[in-house]
Amino acid sequence: MRLKFVGIRLLRGLLTLWFAVTVAFFLVRLLPGDPVLAVADPNMTEELRAKLLADFGLDRPLFVQYAEYMVQLLQGNMGISFRQALPVTEVLLERLPWTLILTMSALAVTVIVGIPLGVLAATRAHRLTDRIVQVTGITAQSLFVPSIGVFLLYTLGVVIPIFPIGGAINLDATGFDATLSMLHHLVLPGLSLVLIQLGNFVLSMRSTLLEALGEDYVALAKAKGVRPRAVVWKHAVRNALLPTTTLAGLQLGALFGGAILTETIYAYPGIGRAIYEAVGQQDYPVLQGAFILLAAAVVVANLITDLAYGFLDPRVRTS
Amino acid sequence: MTDTTPVVGGLSAAPDLTPAQRTWRAFRRNPLGTGSAAVLLALILVALCAPLIAPFPEGYGTDTSLPPSSAHWFGTDDLGQDVFAQVVWGTRVSVLVGVSASALAIVIGLLVGVAAAYFRRIDGPLGVLVDLSLSLPVLPLMILVAALAGPSVQTLVVVIALFSWPEVARVVRAQALSIVPLPYISAAKVVGGSALWIIRKHMLPGVMPIVAVSVVMTTSRAVLSEAGLSFLGLGDPNSWSWGAIMHKAQLSGSLATAWWTTLFPSLAILLLVVAATLLSVAYNDARNHRAH
Repeated sequence: MRLKFVGIRLLRGLLTLWFAVTVAFFLVRLLPGDPVLAVADPNMTEELRAKLLADFGLDRPLFVQYAEYMVQLLQGNMGISFRQALPVTEVLLERLPWTLILTMSALAVTVIVGIPLGVLAATRAHRLTDRIVQVTGITAQSLFVPSIGVFLLYTLGVVIPIFPIGGAINLDATGFDATLSMLHHLVLPGLSLVLIQLGNFVLSMRSTLLEALGEDYVALAKAKGVRPRAVVWKHAVRNALLPTTTLAGLQLGALFGGAILTETIYAYPGIGRAIYEAVGQQDYPVLQGAFILLAAAVVVANLITDLAYGFLDPRVRTS
Repeated sequence: MTDTTPVVGGLSAAPDLTPAQRTWRAFRRNPLGTGSAAVLLALILVALCAPLIAPFPEGYGTDTSLPPSSAHWFGTDDLGQDVFAQVVWGTRVSVLVGVSASALAIVIGLLVGVAAAYFRRIDGPLGVLVDLSLSLPVLPLMILVAALAGPSVQTLVVVIALFSWPEVARVVRAQALSIVPLPYISAAKVVGGSALWIIRKHMLPGVMPIVAVSVVMTTSRAVLSEAGLSFLGLGDPNSWSWGAIMHKAQLSGSLATAWWTTLFPSLAILLLVVAATLLSVAYNDARNHRAH
């Protein structure tokens, strides 16, 4: 049973990944104009054009190109960056750790802060505290990522300059100082991402918890004389966590989207900033590679959440 | 209930009131809903009347990077252009792209959703397609396509619609699935109605309330997507949008010095999205009100 569960999840992850790379391939090829030639001199001779097409393999049938592209991808080859003359994989893998640090710490903080807030709202449902949490949550969901990023940058980085407004680390720092510097640079971009996600997370936690609090097992626990605090935290919260975690998993794509915008504002050297720079330089292979890499990150993160839940909650395994 | 028409034993005192009219009555009484609708109408009005409100911001001015004053309500940017005029003209493109992209996404999503619910044989493949599309990180994909297609207003509309319809399709399919087993659909089949006729006359009216909510939410999401793409430099270089104003501020470095260049476009986006969210909440409440 357990093996089948793991197998199905794994298969679904692979299917999503295949879909992502296939969409990327066909969108790039079906759009008007040759992406490779778009950056070359438009007044080039016909021979040079033919040579370039042949060099990049663009003169072959589409399905041959597709097969070649898949073979290359499986070997970790995502083409050459137009502007940096380096393999895209190399360019992006160097940036990936920063994006993972940023997004995963933001996710962790969202969960750590969001659970108690959701509990607070649900246990005081329809009272003032709950109303405040709800209205704040809805407003936070409506924020434009760069807006909140710029607001934090201006207030906590410029007016009261307690946090750095760009970069990810002070390169001169060593040892423990380097870690401190890294955390210091992480605060503002991380907080921007937390603020955007928190609303959604808290509202979802609130509604699933309210549902759980109406279940029979909660009534039973109360009847058995379990302390109210323990009823909420040990019985209801544990069950409400599953749908909320699933939602957090679905939001991962949005989280990476938010990271692109946040990294742009804070000149944070992750994948997002690389995307912003590639847009300005029309470096299409980097844009394609970044999408594939982020899609893979979403798939892997979802797989980890699914599997972790499968081991924690037997209902997930059997259904 | 505070209904002016008392309902006795399921018989309404005003039997000529259609469900839509009752929803409208309940909606009208909610200041949150009417207020939000007014804000959205005002934004559309600003978009339509932009040339009457402010001259198109272009060229260089002498008053560069000035904070808000009576001469320049929202201040000026590093080129000396009036930020108020930029926001007014930006409303035009932001609203236009939001509404057009959402309209396109709704049409595609509606067709796919209803088709999946009605023709059981294609439900499986369409469902997988929607699920897979929803699990992709959308912004990087939009960036890739918008960058390749070249920045223009049309590109933005098509790209945003292309990756927004699966959400609509999912919601529409769920609603349509609850209509398919209803007796009147079977009856329509028995009298020999064609699939197209049944879908047009019976399925589409049934999913319309869901679509109404979806229109508002899809539009506000499309406005956010447009702002995000324009902020990254993928907007139409010849026109202003709220995201484009912030892109220019980011490029010139005014981001950290001139707060007014980013605050006002930010507020415009926030106003639109919050109003859209509250409108859909109020509309849903008004519809449920009818059920009680």
